[in-house]
Amino acid sequence: MESSSTKIIPQSVESLRLRKLQLVGILCGFGAGAWLGAAEAPTKLVKLGVSPLVVSLLMVFGVFLARWSLPALIRGTGQMRADIRQAPHLIVWGILAGCLWAVANTLTIFAIRDIGLSIAFPLWNINSLLGIFWGYLLFNELRDAGKLRWLTVLGGALLMFLGATLLAVASSTTSPAEHPLRGILAALGAGLLWGTMYVPYRKAYLTGMNPLSFIAFFTIGELGMMLTLALLYGGGPVALSHQLGLARPVLFWLMLGGFVWVIGDLFQQFAAKYIGISRGIPLSNTNQLWGLLWGILVFGELRGLSTSLYAQVIGGSLLMAAGAGAIALSSVTGKEHARWKQAADRESQRYGVDADYVQAALSGNQASSPSGLPAPKSARTWLDYVLVIAATTIFITLAVLARAPNMALNWPALAALAAAMLIFLLACGLALGRTTRFN
Amino acid sequence: MLDENPAKKPGGVWIMILTDLHFWVPAIILLAGLAVLHWIR
Repeated sequence: MESSSTKIIPQSVESLRLRKLQLVGILCGFGAGAWLGAAEAPTKLVKLGVSPLVVSLLMVFGVFLARWSLPALIRGTGQMRADIRQAPHLIVWGILAGCLWAVANTLTIFAIRDIGLSIAFPLWNINSLLGIFWGYLLFNELRDAGKLRWLTVLGGALLMFLGATLLAVASSTTSPAEHPLRGILAALGAGLLWGTMYVPYRKAYLTGMNPLSFIAFFTIGELGMMLTLALLYGGGPVALSHQLGLARPVLFWLMLGGFVWVIGDLFQQFAAKYIGISRGIPLSNTNQLWGLLWGILVFGELRGLSTSLYAQVIGGSLLMAAGAGAIALSSVTGKEHARWKQAADRESQRYGVDADYVQAALSGNQASSPSGLPAPKSARTWLDYVLVIAATTIFITLAVLARAPNMALNWPALAALAAAMLIFLLACGLALGRTTRFN
Repeated sequence: MLDENPAKKPGGVWIMILTDLHFWVPAIILLAGLAVLHWIR
């Protein structure tokens, strides 16, 4: 009898299904940009002298809470256990990706300190180009895609890079660099780490793991590494606990930032799953555009700019939008999808993962159980309810302790941007629910 | 049979992981990032 690990995955997923999944992926990429861009907004409310490492650590705590409660709410942790049984090796890649994120995020803090946001941001935005490189080299992305699609993806990423540079220069308010070499190394390092972080993402999704399961392991690596860095570079446990005590009134805002970031990252992961990392990363990099909108419209940044700076902001935004548009229109052809399936076959055969499970993931369906019967529908257990209730209680308690921000906010703009985010949340959630049932 | 797959033998999955380029690429980049962080802090 032919082993399930060496079963040949059917040659083609029907084109209509493929097209639908790509549209869902593109929508998720744009949704990721909106939510990831908004994640920085709560941290702008923090004006206390809290160290950047502690700010990052507290955001990661928020991320941790959200990453264990949201999957419990959406699918139930039972589905997570089923994913682990199918591909236990991916736990290693989940933890590795979390470590990469934590080190990259810490490097950005040092980069901004040393060379300012205007130079640092475009440098770490090279992660898009690196994502395209790894996608091509390791996962057969853009192979047999044709010149036109290569041109649109690479051209789009370059347009976005130029737009990001213009926006970063325009939004810079920092003084000249004090340690240029250190800062440039830190920014390039962050780009390198973030661009490479998508290697574990893509591997997990080609194999069939659900993003809602993968992020749970990601967060263990993320919190573990961030805690280690905060202890090592923050002066030890006593100094760290003193800093955490100082930050008590702003804990809620920082953890809220982490929560918002998780939703953006979830969409980013679904985008990586359905359109690949070569297209998914550039689309979620539109977060810079959204961050700028929050800064200008809600927090009144860049007030009183010269005409040339406004022109830079508008020009940079248009370039980013054009780049994102080009990438969104560069659909995956049947030939390229066949190459994706070859990469998925490699995973299935190397790690002995059930071919049906891998195939179901590629087409966004629920895999059958090993017996051939349809897998049971997700059922939440008491553990899921405990996780959701615990996370909600912590957030409510911190909200009660939180101090209201003492700064002028443009409330109508805030409401409009929040509404836009909710529309993305609804649209992406409905599209994912209807097309894949979050499978 | 699934059991014949090297990854399904005891300890086999670790051999598969440690001989996988997909593991070493991010692992080496992570180490490089930690080295940069240690140097610039």
